[in-house]
Amino acid sequence: MKCHVPGPNVKVLARTVHALARFGDDLYLESLSDCILLRTLNASESAYAMVKLNKNFFSHFNHNYYCVDVEGLKCKISMKSALNAFKSPAHMDKQVENLEIKLDPHSSKLIFQLNCKHGIVKTHYVSILDCKAMQAVYTKDLVPNRITSSQRLLSEALGNFQCSDDQVTLEVTSESLIIKNFGDTPTDISRIIRSQVTIKPFEFSSYTIGTDTNITFTLKEFRALLGFAEGLNLPVQLHFEITGKPAVFVVHNGTTIEAHFVLATSKPDIGTQYTSQHTTNSERKRKENSNDNNISAKKVHLDEDLSNQFQEDSNLFNYIPNNMSQNNVRENINNVEKANSIDTNCDNIPASPTSRMRIASVFKRCFESTFDPRIIHGVVLAENSDSD
Amino acid sequence: MDDGTSQYYFTASMDSGKTLYNLLKSIQFQECAVFCAMNEGLKLTVEEGKCVQASAYIPADNFTEYHVRDDVDVLFKINISVLTECLNIFGANEDSSLKMYYRCEGSPLLLVLQPQSMINVMTDCEIATQIADSILELRDEDVPEVAKLVLKASAFMGLLGDLERSCDTIEINLSPEHPNVSIITYGMQDRSCIDVPKSSDMVQSFSCKQAIRLKYQLYHLRLIMKALAISSKVVLRSSSNGLLLIQLKLEKEDQRQMFTEFFILPLLDD
Repeated sequence: MKCHVPGPNVKVLARTVHALARFGDDLYLESLSDCILLRTLNASESAYAMVKLNKNFFSHFNHNYYCVDVEGLKCKISMKSALNAFKSPAHMDKQVENLEIKLDPHSSKLIFQLNCKHGIVKTHYVSILDCKAMQAVYTKDLVPNRITSSQRLLSEALGNFQCSDDQVTLEVTSESLIIKNFGDTPTDISRIIRSQVTIKPFEFSSYTIGTDTNITFTLKEFRALLGFAEGLNLPVQLHFEITGKPAVFVVHNGTTIEAHFVLATSKPDIGTQYTSQHTTNSERKRKENSNDNNISAKKVHLDEDLSNQFQEDSNLFNYIPNNMSQNNVRENINNVEKANSIDTNCDNIPASPTSRMRIASVFKRCFESTFDPRIIHGVVLAENSDSD
Repeated sequence: MDDGTSQYYFTASMDSGKTLYNLLKSIQFQECAVFCAMNEGLKLTVEEGKCVQASAYIPADNFTEYHVRDDVDVLFKINISVLTECLNIFGANEDSSLKMYYRCEGSPLLLVLQPQSMINVMTDCEIATQIADSILELRDEDVPEVAKLVLKASAFMGLLGDLERSCDTIEINLSPEHPNVSIITYGMQDRSCIDVPKSSDMVQSFSCKQAIRLKYQLYHLRLIMKALAISSKVVLRSSSNGLLLIQLKLEKEDQRQMFTEFFILPLLDD
């Protein structure tokens, strides 16, 4: 495959790579006869992004440059290498006249050649890590809820949230859309600022809600995709079903570029924010010797909830062999590995246990307000560490 | 006036200390510098592990007054971060006039700074001096120069800034053939290559008699970044033994010039 990207589109491509870099650490490139697909998956497999660059995005596109009868050329490169080739997207169109991408199926390097102003040629030989492609299966067309919004409306709404927030909940009804950073459960006291933004349907370009629902997803990826839409000045289409089913964000300009961002959704108030922030909080509480019983009982319940949810979530990103993908249910997102099929089924992997609970019960006596260390007259197994 | 200053080894005064401050900042990657006042001008030199030698040179015509006693060597070691801190004592937004005095060997360097926008405010600084260490004599007249390259500083800075930070060596290939300049960096798994032909706008002059391949530590080359940022023109000279001399010219508003100079030792091929 060999293609040329004209100057203004190099900037678009650079923005694309930077947006994808906020999703995952690897970049999958697949060249088809009429387009190039860029894909990435985040580490926890809860977010997936696919950008399709059509043939007319390029000034020259030759899929069969190196050899004729290849179906699809695929490669996986490290996202860092890709970022290195596309530094500072904002200035790129001023410096770069055009970009040539070459992918030889018999070579171990993907070549980005940037022809810059002043006759400077920058060539990046990027190592190919793998020849597999990764593909997610999801639906965006047959879903009850669809919203089209200008990216500015959503960006402005997100401007009200703190940098430390890592999830948002969308609560949708046919009357209004509410974006908030907290759920209905009162147990989560770690969040100091609770924000809620209500947007009326007439603010959106289109607003169809078939099923009232609320979905929670990560803010980091949401911000990344909004940044991408902002850079390209394109509206964002949101397609989603109900809690637990993936939400698909589509950004496209109709002719040259189409991007799908798929985010796993969960119930409000669980997930990373809960586990990370609440741990420190509960530790602090333990130091204060407050009676923890009541709260830990609630936590047990929540943790069960959490692990159930994780099991549900792991359904979303199942790795399944290639030949199974046809009969797979539509809403599942699968990793299709062409060269090596992996037969492991992730369905039964339980969520990892949370050690926090055990510690609380093992040393429970110590943290009760009635505990007096002087009543213990046993052998000291481990002495107090130095105050230093 | 002459009677008053002749007892000093060195005196100098300047209307604006801002450019001097920026110039010294650009070579301030070591704590101490060798301060040398000659009749032609003032020179401060720092060395980084005997691999890089950087000098700031301020020709005497940049000073409104400049006296060096002919019969003595004015050469001492001084803490360059203290010196720059003193020059910037009224803050970045305030330009100040500057006077320097150095009485004799072993005495401190005296600085008198007066901010331009305030009258009746004055700062006296005394900076202790030490006996100068010997500095490397890197310039060797016997070794022929093989390549000379004059570039626009801003464009060269753009190139250097774009290089991958994670790699540690940089290879510069110079050749009379196209592409005349080729800069190669090796990352973790990738290789990047920048080709600059001599016809490029950023190349103001190019001369190279034979093809040469030079390897340096990228960190050493990055030390010139601050100097590049304030300079307008950069000259790269390479001798046949691989020693790279980078000279940078800073042009002030009053048409006067100040210079920085970097000697960078090559990495040996294995």
